[in-house]
Amino acid sequence: MSNPAAESDTRSLEHRLDALQAGPAAAKPRRLNWLSSVWPPVVAIAVLLLIWQSYCWIAQPRPDLYPSVIDVWSAIVANWQSGRLPMALGTSLSRGALGFVYAIILGTLVGFLLVEVPLLRRAFGPIISGLQVLPSVAWVPAAILWFGLSDATVYFVILMGAVPSIANGLIDGIRQVPAHIRRVGLVLGAGPVALHRFVLFPAALPGYLAGLRQGWAFAWRSLMAAEIIATGGKLGFGLGSLLQQNRELADLPGVLATVLTILLLGILIEVGVFTPIQRRVLQRRGLTEAR
Amino acid sequence: MAAQAAITLSHVTKEFTGGVRVLDDINFTVSPGEFICIVGVSGCGKSTLLNIIAGLESASSGSVEVPSGRASVMFQDPSLMPWLTARQNVELALRLRGIGREERKAEALRLLDLVNLRDATEKLPHQLSGGMKQRVALARALAQDRAVLLMDEPFAALDAVTRDLLHDELERVWRETGRTIIFVTHNVREAARLGDRVVLMTARGGHIAHEWSVTVERPRQIEEPSVSTIAGSISGALRAELAKVHNV
Ligand SMILES: Nc1ncnc2c1ncn2[C@@H]1O[C@H](COP(=O)(O)OP(=O)(O)O)[C@@H](O)[C@H]1O
Ligand SMILES: [Mg+2]
Repeated sequence: MSNPAAESDTRSLEHRLDALQAGPAAAKPRRLNWLSSVWPPVVAIAVLLLIWQSYCWIAQPRPDLYPSVIDVWSAIVANWQSGRLPMALGTSLSRGALGFVYAIILGTLVGFLLVEVPLLRRAFGPIISGLQVLPSVAWVPAAILWFGLSDATVYFVILMGAVPSIANGLIDGIRQVPAHIRRVGLVLGAGPVALHRFVLFPAALPGYLAGLRQGWAFAWRSLMAAEIIATGGKLGFGLGSLLQQNRELADLPGVLATVLTILLLGILIEVGVFTPIQRRVLQRRGLTEAR
Repeated sequence: MAAQAAITLSHVTKEFTGGVRVLDDINFTVSPGEFICIVGVSGCGKSTLLNIIAGLESASSGSVEVPSGRASVMFQDPSLMPWLTARQNVELALRLRGIGREERKAEALRLLDLVNLRDATEKLPHQLSGGMKQRVALARALAQDRAVLLMDEPFAALDAVTRDLLHDELERVWRETGRTIIFVTHNVREAARLGDRVVLMTARGGHIAHEWSVTVERPRQIEEPSVSTIAGSISGALRAELAKVHNV
């Protein structure tokens, strides 16, 4: 019955067709890729600093109101050497990181719960979206009254900022999983837990990551705002507190130095953490062109 | 006959909400190892019938028996997990069956070799052509190790050359694995090329209009005169079905 010659002919034809039709497998060299995303913002910052410094050289404005780049740089060095900047950096970063971890845990749990229970989703979905719009600084006064000037106040504000975004990212991600992917999971015999673990959660990862990214941005902003408003008591000394202290000293170069530090940190985390993770996830799924 | 049927449908009826009767008193049996093709115009209820056999939908009345347990299913969309390589996609099916890690890899590679994808095991779905994706999906369906394989227009989106090669491939895989296959298509030539038996559904009303036994020796060619003759006769019946709809 079977004809081995014809069969091997089919197989080799198929191989040729595969070679013609399959997309290129070549991954681009990663280092080049990373560099190409780093140099444009670096150049942009350099240009902005240059314009600022040139203005100060040419127009000679009052240095206490319009300090030059060099004055601000000196303030950074001075704040660093006095130990205030390292301490503030350490406090804010560790609070931000810990608060964000809490927010991930809570946001993910809330997200899964709302995905699983449609009634809860219909009830709480709009509230969570509303909370996303509410600036979480608005919670600072209440938090101070509840928790006093303690770290709990700061963590509370971070959670209120980040949890809604993370939960919403997960909910949207799972809701956007194509029906045929879900169906294949069922056809392959996945039970409820396996379906979430092996199919729905990985499929929702791009949306979840977008939620995490936004959640971090909100967490970081909330933290800075909380630190500016709430100082003293048992609260540690963070970047927001440094900002506030420099303002009280009428030290504008110090204020700008702190703002620049906060900005730089934000850029570093964006470019160094979220962008590469997101890009890898999307590229693996063929969702972005390499460039 | 002593041999137990692989699939038995008796008096299967399906109505969707709104009272439209998509399937009406469908009866047929499929023998183990048989390759059945179901043809019919779009919207006649082929997918509904297949989903009922697969257990993805329930019949409104009547009974469906698949003694070997649940069937595995392939759809027109390969529906590979886009974050997993070809091998990992097949391994997922094995994992959900409870197969251990070591065995999983070897078995996945064996199945991918069976569908002639030995060189593409580490590629991601977006790096594969449509035909290759559908072969990964076939390997994944085979990984479920179920006696019955249901296929819903799996090659409808592929170009003709790729489809011809996949017919050869599927025929070989079927012979080597001894599966019972129900293959749904609206392509009459495809049905005549592949099936031991071809079942034509009425365009409306959800009945079986006609059945053909295809005794052409395998392996077959789609352009073979004996295949074309049967395709011609199915095609004629299909047009007659359509004509009835227009006359109503
Ligand atoms: N879930 C559903 N609810 C209501 N009507 C449906 C549903 N699924 C399919 N139908 C209808 O049933 C008929 C048969 O559909 P289907 O089985 O998909 O046909 P085929 O696969 O032969 O093209 C169509 O008229 C379709 O509109
Ligand atoms: Mg269909």
